[in-house]
Order: sequence, then C-alpha cells, then structure tokens
Amino acid sequence: MTSRLGALRPGEILGSAAALAFLAAACLLVLVPLVFMAGASFMPALDILKMPYRWIPQTWKPANYLRALAGNDGNWMYLRNILNSLIVSSSIAVSTVFLSSLVGYGLAKFRFKGSQVVFLLIMATMMIPFETVMIPLYMITVKLGLQDSYAGLIVPFLMNAFGVFLMRQYLITFPGEILDAARIDGCSEPRIFREIVFRNAGPAAATLAVLSFRQQWDNLLWPLLVAQREEMKTIPAYIVKFAAEKHADEGAMMAVAVIASLPVFALFFGLSKYFLGGSAVYSAGKE
Amino acid sequence: MKPASTSGVLERNRSRWGWAFTAPGLVFFGLFSFYPILNAIWTSFFNKKLLSLRPPKFIGFQNYARVLGSEDFWNSVRATAVFTTGVFVPLFTLSLLLAVFIASRKRFRRLFQMALYSPAVLSSVVAALIWLLLLDPRGLANQFVNLVAGTPGVDRRWLSDGTMVQVSTMIVYVWKYVGYFTILFITGIGKIPESVYEAAVIDGAGPVQRFFRITLPLLRPTTVLVSVMILIQCLKTFSTQYLFTQAGAPVGPVNVITLNIYNTAMRDLNLGRASVMSTLLFLFMLGLTWVQLRFSRRDEVEL
Repeated sequence: MTSRLGALRPGEILGSAAALAFLAAACLLVLVPLVFMAGASFMPALDILKMPYRWIPQTWKPANYLRALAGNDGNWMYLRNILNSLIVSSSIAVSTVFLSSLVGYGLAKFRFKGSQVVFLLIMATMMIPFETVMIPLYMITVKLGLQDSYAGLIVPFLMNAFGVFLMRQYLITFPGEILDAARIDGCSEPRIFREIVFRNAGPAAATLAVLSFRQQWDNLLWPLLVAQREEMKTIPAYIVKFAAEKHADEGAMMAVAVIASLPVFALFFGLSKYFLGGSAVYSAGKE
Repeated sequence: MKPASTSGVLERNRSRWGWAFTAPGLVFFGLFSFYPILNAIWTSFFNKKLLSLRPPKFIGFQNYARVLGSEDFWNSVRATAVFTTGVFVPLFTLSLLLAVFIASRKRFRRLFQMALYSPAVLSSVVAALIWLLLLDPRGLANQFVNLVAGTPGVDRRWLSDGTMVQVSTMIVYVWKYVGYFTILFITGIGKIPESVYEAAVIDGAGPVQRFFRITLPLLRPTTVLVSVMILIQCLKTFSTQYLFTQAGAPVGPVNVITLNIYNTAMRDLNLGRASVMSTLLFLFMLGLTWVQLRFSRRDEVEL
C-alpha cells in the first residue's frame, strides 16, 4: 500500500495526519455505545443515567445479569427465549447450508433442459423482500396451525436464494473429473453429493452457516407475527417486551443486550478473517 | 467409443438427477416466495380481515383507493423517504471517506475495520436498545452534545420530539452500518490497479485529485452496489422504529412503511389494506432492483 500514498509532500503529511485523527475519532465514536453497553450492564440503574456519566462502574452490580435472565416478573422466560433463538437460528443455518448446497450443486453440475430457467426463477426470488410476503406467509402459517411452533418459526427460512447462488458459484469450480470417476466406480448420485461434494463445500458452507445464523438471530418481524405465546418468542421479541415494560431496570436492559450479543460476537471474532476478507461481507447485512 | 444410445441414456439420467437436486428449491421458493407474493397481490383486491368469519369479498381497487387516499399511508411514505434520505447521505459519504482513509493506511487496517464493523454484528434490536438509553434525557447523547456545543443542561428530546426521534433512528442506523459499507468500499478500492495510482503520482496528482479522478470513477461498480443496498435496507427498516415506539416514542414521525404494514395487519387486522401496502412496496423495490441490474450490466461491459 506504500505507493498509494507515494512520495509524501509536506501538505500530504499534514493531510495524512488529519486522516488518521479522523479515523481514530470515528472508531472511538463507533465503539462508545458498545463500551457503554458493557459497562452499564454492571451498574445500578441510578449510575447509568447520571450526569456526568462515569465509564467505570462505581458500584458493581452483577445482579443485573440475574435480573436479565429472571425477567421483570421472575419467570426466567429469557432463558427459554434464548434457547428458542439457538434452536431456530441453528436449525435454519443447518438447513440453509444443506438445501442450498443440494440445489446449488444441481444447478452447477447438471446441464438439463430448463436448468437456466430454474436458476433464473430462484434468483428472481431475491427481488421479493420478506417484508412484502410476511402477511400471506403469516396467513398460511395460521391456516396450517403452525403459530407458536418451531416449525412456524423455521420453515419459511429453510433456504434462501442467496445461499443457492453462493453454493452454485462455489461448486461450479469443483472438478468434474472427480465426480465422473466416482460415477464410473458405481457411486450413486446422492452418495456422490453426500460423500464428495458436501464434504468439500467447507469454506462456502461455513460462511453461509454463519450468515444465516446471524440473520435469524436478528430476526424480529417474523417471530413477532408467529410467536404470540411468551414461551415461543425469540430473543429480539423478548428484548422489545423487556425494554417496554414500565419497571424495567436500565442495568438489566444492558445485561439482556450483552447476553444477546455474546454468541454473535463470538462467531464474528472467531471467523473475522472470512468477514473482513470481502466476498462474505456482501451479504452480511441482508435481512 | 461409446455407442450413441448409451450416452443418450446417460444424458437422460443426468438430466433426471439435475431435476431431482433442484426440485427442493423449486418447491420451496414456489411455496414461500412466489405463492405469497401472488397471494399478497390477490388479497389486495379483497376486504379481508384477520379473525373475521365472513368470507372476504372482492372489492376491486377500493383498498388501493382507501390506502392511496389516506393521510396515514402518505405519512408512512414520507417517514420512509425522510429516513432513507437521512441515512443515505451520511452513511454513503462516511463509509466512502473512511474506506479511502483506511485503504491508504499501512498499519492497523484490520484494527480499524474491526472497530468500525463491530456494531454491524449486533442484532438491530440490541443496537436500538443501547441507543434507547444513550438518548434518554439524562443519557450520554445529551451530555455529549451539550459538552461539544457548550450548552449545559439542555435536553434535545431525542425520543420525544417528532423531528428528533427521526434523527435518532437515523443515528442508530448510520452507526450500525457504517463499518459494513466501509468494508464493501475497501474491497472495491482494493480492486483498482495499483499502477493507475503510481502513474497519477508520477504525473503529480495530489491525494484529492487522485480521489476524484481515479478512485471515484473506477469505484463505480461498488458505488452503485452500495447505493442500492443502502436504499433497499432503508426501505425495509423496522426494528429501531418498532422498539422506540414501543418504549414510548411518538409513532407518527417514524411510522415507516414496514411498521405500518405490521400494525395494519396485526393491530387493525386489515389484511386487505396491509396487502396493498405490501404490493406497492414490492413494486417499488422491483423497480430499484431493475435499476441495479441495468447498471451492473453496463459496468461489466465497460470493465
């Protein structure tokens, strides 16, 4: 990257210093709310909304976390809702990876009459945002009696067009000779997929799994429609309810937020090289 | 040499397996994408009510007339448009600027990227929740602004004033996504050949000139992508507005289209009218995607 700056003139050195200051300030500003969340989760409510605010807790109150998990009415519903989020998000991550590889493989390695049309049809669904179909989907769910069930929360997200696209692009480079060799050896097509293709879909599959997990971890709208009973809610819906309650404790609110963020932060920092690398990032914000 | 008939059988076999592998996709997207969107369009012509026992009646364009004639809908269009504009300009500018600065750094690039990207990892609801406390009358936002502006003790009414609550939702959004789009821009800048810059430096081009004459024009595929992505994301915004209004902020100013669809269906139980808004949103976004496709095609040809 040296040449991008080239030989520096005095004005440029000044400009570069200004740029560095701007960058540092931006990073600090962006991090402030996160530091606030972490700090406030250990503070008594009175200290959180105090002027001037003190960044380091003066009195530590880890009991916030107990309150966060127990809930305002002490029924420990958050634990159940965290479990729901884990179940729903991981099921969707697994099924998205599996089904997208299946369909992506079919589109990448089999030329058949209409395969182009199938591909275009699936890609076209990217133009149908979830927000525009949620009401009909909700009606279907009601008709099938799947409200307040895991099936209702999971099924509409079993796979997505982006996943199919990602897996197809990845598998298209898979050497056809290996597949043909397996066929000559008498390996059946499902087994080729299971034993050879799926096993070698590693990096793309991992990226897709993390993205799908994160996306569902964040999903508020659909669980809000489908899960009316407290026991079936997921974390985002719980957070809204917790925060909107009159007697909500600010410290406990931040503890709720920290708990909700831990799994995705662990995933992100564990796999940051994939996320900062480029291609995967293109879809991380997709909802 | 294989006899022709064997390869014909193989061909047919392959084609059958091709269908078998793609069939789950066809079934799934048929059921959960194509059927619902057609259903939404269909329902928009009926006076369908949730929980109502009476069979829905076909009423032609009456739902459309009601929606398009209601202040509530146009308020949502306004709220969405204001939000989108208010997010687009700072988000685009900031992330481009930050990307250019980071790309020109030799060290700590990864650190900067990580720091800026970290809010994007959070759930939207968590992001909104943090800001709910920061924007409290006694919260840090007031303290910070008063410190900078030298106006001690002034409450900006971030969550209670109609204008300010819109600004607040924009702040949350820009904060959450600035790192994400910065990384997209960095990726784009990385694709610009180094030699172009070297030539420009030899010709005596300064950093500002390099930015406007080289980076910006050659970055066009990324700028188009980022623009459309920001627009589409903003049109679908929901979580922040939902949490803020649930926590007591006034609904009117931030009643964006998705929030309105949700409330029309779930609170007013009026599926017909909710479907009208869904259909209009769909058509609008379809238009946007079309624009995106057209532009990205042209870029492919140019490069």
